Amino acid sequence: MNKFTKYFYTICVYFFLYLPIAIVIVFSFNNAKHSLVWQGFTFKWYASLFNDSAMLRVAWHSLILGVLAATIATIIGTLAAVSLFRYRFFGKKILHGLIFILILTPEIVTAISLLLLYSFLKIPLGFWTLLLAHTALCVPFVAVTVYSRITTLDTDIFEAAMDLGATDFTIFRKIIIPLLLPAIASGWLLSFTLSLDDVIISYFVSGPSFDILPLKIYSMVRLGVKPEVNALCTLMLAFTLFAVITTYQSIFKKKPS
Amino acid sequence: MKHLRQIIAIFFISLTSTLAYSNPNKSDILNVYIWGNYMPNEVIQQFTKETGIKLNIAEYDNNETMFSKLKALKKSGYDITVPSSYYVERMAKQGMLHPLDKSQLTNLHHINPILLNKPFDPKNVYSVPYLWGSTGIIINTKYINKKKVTSWQNFWDPEYRDQLMILNDMRDAFSIALLSLGYSINDSNPQHIEKAYLKLKALLPNIKIFNIDTVPNIYIDEDAIIGVAWSGDYKLAHDENPALEYVYPKEGFSTWMESFVILKDAPHVENAHKFINFILRPEIAKQISLAIGHSTANKSAVKLMPITLQQNSVANPNQEIMKQGEIQRDLDPETRHLYEKYWERLKIGN
Repeated sequence: MNKFTKYFYTICVYFFLYLPIAIVIVFSFNNAKHSLVWQGFTFKWYASLFNDSAMLRVAWHSLILGVLAATIATIIGTLAAVSLFRYRFFGKKILHGLIFILILTPEIVTAISLLLLYSFLKIPLGFWTLLLAHTALCVPFVAVTVYSRITTLDTDIFEAAMDLGATDFTIFRKIIIPLLLPAIASGWLLSFTLSLDDVIISYFVSGPSFDILPLKIYSMVRLGVKPEVNALCTLMLAFTLFAVITTYQSIFKKKPS
Repeated sequence: MKHLRQIIAIFFISLTSTLAYSNPNKSDILNVYIWGNYMPNEVIQQFTKETGIKLNIAEYDNNETMFSKLKALKKSGYDITVPSSYYVERMAKQGMLHPLDKSQLTNLHHINPILLNKPFDPKNVYSVPYLWGSTGIIINTKYINKKKVTSWQNFWDPEYRDQLMILNDMRDAFSIALLSLGYSINDSNPQHIEKAYLKLKALLPNIKIFNIDTVPNIYIDEDAIIGVAWSGDYKLAHDENPALEYVYPKEGFSTWMESFVILKDAPHVENAHKFINFILRPEIAKQISLAIGHSTANKSAVKLMPITLQQNSVANPNQEIMKQGEIQRDLDPETRHLYEKYWERLKIGN
């Protein structure tokens, strides 16, 4: 491949991936309520976003939910991956298969099953049902991410550690966790994103008291998405970028000491 | 690490305060399930300030979504929802609604009588009209002479080839054909429905897009220069593109109306009545109508509006125009399936 084709191809890929995002950013500064044609530069959507307490509240709800669901899912998923790799127990193969099945299950199936479960157990819909649903959604993704990393580890390290008198817990804490940290971090970020933008499951399991951002945006589509949403998306993008860069800097780039 | 701990601590403190707020069964709250962007924030805040009742607003983007969710859950926790006319009828038939206590709705007399007692809910046992409007024709006068478009029949003119925007909604689309053939928009005669289908099929070459989301954009940005629109969306579009005009077709048009209803298992029936009565106040109704752009059902609120708006035939049509509108009703399941069958065939161009 000559140099020109190579660059052209790369530019096309980036263009395709990032153009929609760039458009959201550009239109968050567009001075028009509905038009999708450029009408002039303004900051007013950012100003009105910060005066829109309802919008900020649902964004905050989404953030809380995302952080908690991602954290719980990361803990469960990591433990699942480690036990699948290190231990033999009854039903191991089935569990391994089930994790993949959960990833492949269409969200709508998960959503309906959860709704039926909650309605059968008479659990009122709200924050807790959402948290449980989002955690369940994220666990398999974390497990798979961590598991694929763990299989690349050299098992001799564990045996050496045991020779030197380390208990299982010490091995887990001092060897496995540090070595898996990049995978755990990616698992967490992946879960956070999944939780933050999930519409289908959230739609079925959310209740009147706890509205979240993706549902709010989705319900606006018919009557027109407010330009404040563009502003909010831009801010969230900036936040995500910041989170990814910090994680990358602090974990992935760290030299083994 | 120290910072991380602080961040986590702050996070959990704010978390507990958020959760303390959100117990759905407390007595001083009201759970409203409503169309997206259908209740201005100022109104919500004023209600909470006056009564101490906290409003939880959850939003949906179409009747089907709202209906299926409420149907799936016996005790959903929602108190009030805002279905369109024909969904009021369907929900009432299925016993999902709580009859209104009119003695608590002291402001009910402000509602325009022409919008009360409609066939979908005779005597308004269950519903109070909130916002309403018509489904008419929008034209862009920069490209089309206003005098040339007076009826639905004009849509079939060959000069509008590939120019129309039609609402991507089965009932709204069939209404165009049914009205231009001289039938009712709620017609259940299979032959009439077939004729309407053939008529719509003949319209396909003129249709540029079927769309129902963010309709104003299409007309503001001139992606379509003629087509169907709700009167409320016309107002929003006209604010940004003054060349747009709204036409009441001479064959008649469909009128839509969104009404407040209280759900059967509502945990806060009393608060629900308080809220509906609050919305019925003329000054509140006026504020809502101006913010959202749809016409208010409150006749006293219209009198509080600027005179130009009072006389605006799109925002506040007179009795003469209103009489030509027909309201959408719920269809019996068989007829609905027939419409659906033709609608699917139409969408695949067959």
